[in-house]
Amino acid sequence: MPKLESEDQDLQLVDRVLAGESQAFETLVRRQERRVFRTTLAVTGNPEDAEEAMQDTFLKTYQHLAEFRRDSRFSTWLTRIAVNEGLQRLRRRKPTESLDDPGTRDDQPQPRQLEDWGADPEQRYAVQELREMVEAAIRALPPAYRVVFVLRDVEGLTTDEAVAVLGLSIAAVKSRLLRARLMVREALAGRLAKRPTLKSRLLDARALIGKILAMPVRRAPGQKAEKR
Amino acid sequence: MILNCEEVLENLSCYLDGDGSEEVRRALEEHIAQCRRCHVVVDTTRRTLRIVTDVEPFGVPLAVSARLYARLQQALATR
Repeated sequence: MPKLESEDQDLQLVDRVLAGESQAFETLVRRQERRVFRTTLAVTGNPEDAEEAMQDTFLKTYQHLAEFRRDSRFSTWLTRIAVNEGLQRLRRRKPTESLDDPGTRDDQPQPRQLEDWGADPEQRYAVQELREMVEAAIRALPPAYRVVFVLRDVEGLTTDEAVAVLGLSIAAVKSRLLRARLMVREALAGRLAKRPTLKSRLLDARALIGKILAMPVRRAPGQKAEKR
Repeated sequence: MILNCEEVLENLSCYLDGDGSEEVRRALEEHIAQCRRCHVVVDTTRRTLRIVTDVEPFGVPLAVSARLYARLQQALATR
């Protein structure tokens, strides 16, 4: 469904709820429940907390619907409430956890799984198995990366929308997304990459030897240059 | 423009999302045509994102959905 059309439908439903038609709220919830659940799950990392946070998100939305100023999309406003509800529960359960970036500027993510995946490793697994792999990889992310990854790559928000929902800078959203993507890739590679063959090991070894030979030779102190 | 391996990684997200400049896109593609390591990283990250979209992770379990509607109906009825 094109985004604009979908947004128009949300706004019409909001109008109907505000006019006293509470059935319209159920339609609104059906349209948004998956996004809200994914969001609260991404923030809390815990299904029970996510469920509770989702229920409270919709109750608060209903109570405060008249306060929705139409300067952002309805779904963005709703997702922001869901992030806050999730965050309250995350802090309650783990007071030291936050959505702050656990990384530092210096620790650039370094891909470690460098084996090719071959033609179609996805075909070796049933969709359910792949889904479990993906969910496990996302669950293992730190909350700060997990929420950005879920909003951008699972829910399909744009960078600007993620910025509006999370109150982060564009640079922060981008750097967290890159780290998250590389971490999820790393996790899937453990299952999907081909096992290294003798040939690929030999090629890697040859490339490494080539790099070593190309390095400038440093002489030990006092050592004279060899006469050629 | 020439990119090294670290710069390929920095520009990976923009490249996969199709935003970023044409110049960077071309430089990145020239790099991965020569560098097996970066080729694997770019290719497998792209495939990772495709798998993530395809499998639609974290659906709302039916029981969770049912409890949500029950709670909402209760709350709306008492208003």
